[in-house]
Amino acid sequence: MSVTAYILVKSNTSDVDRVQSEIEAIDGVTQANIVAGDVDFIAKVAVETPGEVKDIVASGIQTISGVENTQTYIAMA
Amino acid sequence: MRFIIIGAGRVGLRTARVLRQEGHEVTLVERDRESVDRARSLSFDVVAGDGSREEVLQEAGIAEADAVGALTGDLNVNFAACLIANHHGCRTVMRIDEDYREEIYQQYADEVDEIVYPERLGAIGAKNALLGGSIQAIADVAQSLQILLITITDQSPMKGYTLSEVALPSDSRILAFGKADEPLGIPLPDDSLEAGDRVAVLAEFSELAEVRQLLVGDESAAAALAGGESS
Repeated sequence: MSVTAYILVKSNTSDVDRVQSEIEAIDGVTQANIVAGDVDFIAKVAVETPGEVKDIVASGIQTISGVENTQTYIAMA
Repeated sequence: MRFIIIGAGRVGLRTARVLRQEGHEVTLVERDRESVDRARSLSFDVVAGDGSREEVLQEAGIAEADAVGALTGDLNVNFAACLIANHHGCRTVMRIDEDYREEIYQQYADEVDEIVYPERLGAIGAKNALLGGSIQAIADVAQSLQILLITITDQSPMKGYTLSEVALPSDSRILAFGKADEPLGIPLPDDSLEAGDRVAVLAEFSELAEVRQLLVGDESAAAALAGGESS
């Protein structure tokens, strides 16, 4: 089984290059882009289980300094 | 010039009003029905629709517009509108909703020529009002260049002198002058400085203290700090 998910990340810092590289350094994250609009980054995650998505978000992305909140979307098709 | 303003809320409507007063042609784009009606009741040309859609902007005349102000409270709409406007060769101005985003858009959004953060301008005004005194910071025009509005008081060393006699430091200029109770106008060499008159001065930060000393004299330290930082 494999799981793809998109994580929308809202930050509160203009230090976006650092946040982007810290997100991309997390195991399971395949890509993270700085985006225009009301969130600041969208990260793509490819892992084996939904539980790993939770780990990446809770103990990975949300612990990065400057990250305010996240929204997670699991791909269905 | 021809302008399209997206968003007829507090920021957009006020911007449209100022542009119209100065003789420019303005078309507003607004998707909320009530706001459309209100803007039309003020005799504005309004296109009802979503400013992030190209056909709506075409209806508003984007082909002939010189610049587009994307001034809604919705960042996605504002950015999409700037992308479309940039494609049509317009100058683009985008309103942002949080101050940390200013640098991000300046760095990455090539399609956006200028960023505005209305709350920052409001804060400068509020700070001036709270501090009071004879000096108001009007704007930071560059990293180290500020425009100040100074009110002449009875303590001003230059009170009673004419503008031609005011020897400002070399990196500062008098931009405008107004007698008490009259609007600001072009400064003339023979204008004399009396208490209550106002002088708009453009000055390097390094020379603010000297300008202040010359035109205001020894005022309280609190009022002297009215010139502020940019963030």
